[in-house]
Amino acid sequence: MSADTAVWGVGTSLFGKQPHLSAPELTWVAVTEAIDDAGLAGASAIDAVYAGTVFGEPGVAQRALQSIGVTGVPIITIENACASGTTAFHEARLAVESGRYERVLALGIETMTAVFDGAIVPIRSDAEGAQGFAMPSLYGMSATRYVHEFDVTPEQMAQVSVKNHRHAVGNPRAQHSRTVTVEQVLASRVIADPLTLYQCCSIADAAGAAIIGPARGAAHPRDVPIRSSALRSGKLWDQRSSRVWGWDIVAETAALAYEQAGIGPGDVDVFEVHDAFTIGEIVTTEALGLCDLGGGGRLVESGHTSIGGPQPVNPSGGLLSRGHPLGATGLAQIAEIVWQLRGEAGARQVEGARLGVVETMGGGAAGVDGNGCVVAVLGRS
Amino acid sequence: MTDRLTLDPPELGPADPRPRLMLVNGSVLATGGRCTACGYALAVVPPRCPVCGGATMEIATFGPGATVFTATILRIPVPGREPPYGLAYVDLDGGPRILVHVIDSETGETGGLRSAGDGRPARPLVPGSRVRLVGWTEHGDPAVRPSPEPTEHQRTEEAS
Repeated sequence: MSADTAVWGVGTSLFGKQPHLSAPELTWVAVTEAIDDAGLAGASAIDAVYAGTVFGEPGVAQRALQSIGVTGVPIITIENACASGTTAFHEARLAVESGRYERVLALGIETMTAVFDGAIVPIRSDAEGAQGFAMPSLYGMSATRYVHEFDVTPEQMAQVSVKNHRHAVGNPRAQHSRTVTVEQVLASRVIADPLTLYQCCSIADAAGAAIIGPARGAAHPRDVPIRSSALRSGKLWDQRSSRVWGWDIVAETAALAYEQAGIGPGDVDVFEVHDAFTIGEIVTTEALGLCDLGGGGRLVESGHTSIGGPQPVNPSGGLLSRGHPLGATGLAQIAEIVWQLRGEAGARQVEGARLGVVETMGGGAAGVDGNGCVVAVLGRS
Repeated sequence: MTDRLTLDPPELGPADPRPRLMLVNGSVLATGGRCTACGYALAVVPPRCPVCGGATMEIATFGPGATVFTATILRIPVPGREPPYGLAYVDLDGGPRILVHVIDSETGETGGLRSAGDGRPARPLVPGSRVRLVGWTEHGDPAVRPSPEPTEHQRTEEAS
């Protein structure tokens, strides 16, 4: 017997480089906000925790949660690259749906300034990590391929950065709340050809949290129903693959989530997607079915994905502008969609949003089409 | 009593995950595995084929020719490396797609893509263009050079 599930409450810290704050301090802010938002009596009401973190130290979740009274209950820590937070969310939802637990905390924690000075590099035991590879070079190569194969222009790629920076101006928690122009984006220094600095997300420290439980009905109108969530790991990405890295895993995960929710991409009012680099949002909007293969550049240029357009993508500012604290990003995306669907998103509110989608995918293992991808559908039809 | 047998090869350090190259009659080839059932090729030799499950993998060599799938020039520092350097995913002839470093044809430098001769900023290799395995960078990475041989497209045009 499976139960309908809902997000009861969400919370986040601020996003940005915050080396003066510890992982516990960031977590306290996010979790206490989520507990209050859900209307729980206190931390003791939580009966299990799924925590996502990528570079968090062993025990980071227990260390962060003990001082706010989340003790004694099962705490399970998950690493799944950039999808760590949404994988925690997905597992929390399944635990409630199956009846295993009733009030589950999905948590994301990341303190990247403690680990990195600059770009993220795969671990040295990885075939590509050992070659001096860095994540910007992976996305730079996707961009090179898109320029060659689909005539995606530098200006179209820059438009993603311009849009998401503009969106973040309405988000008081965002890392980069200022507008930039196409000219400024393209004039910023080249990181990995053809991607420039303002087309790459920064490192960040933050935490995000969501309380998930069974649907509570009309007595709790601020609860946001979870329509579906799906998780996949990447298939082999090899000489047989004609698409860029990550396209197929997103398309296949989205197809699963749409099918389980009984919807299509055209039904969705607002998206939060993985835009660690501008080309990433272009590729992802295609794979999510917002446009055809190769049409992602024209899609952003048309304004379709801007706030005020038919299907806004990343009203929070996305990873590019809200910030990308790896393990916390998924819960930040969930929080944004919850606020949007409740009508609580303030200056960046997507008018009339009823159905929202969250997508996160990440990698770091050479040879597969991403370590993991989660797509979740939230809201009412 | 003979000396005790060791399975540690001489002069090899810790396991290196990078694609392996070998020199055969003056050509640089990549080594790996090929499934004798379905023909799938990869840069390692696992006990079972990841595509068809076949249990007979043979050791194979690939290249030296390869076709560029895509490329970039990384211009930010990475621990232990000095930017910029060219990187590419290449599909080895008869073999797997691997990550390689790109050596500039004229200067012979790994970062040599910065000095393309005419003073213009260097550009990444073009997808679909041909390259050849030429050896290792100073860091031990597999390296390719742009190849003078015609592309598939040029061959088709010549034939018509």
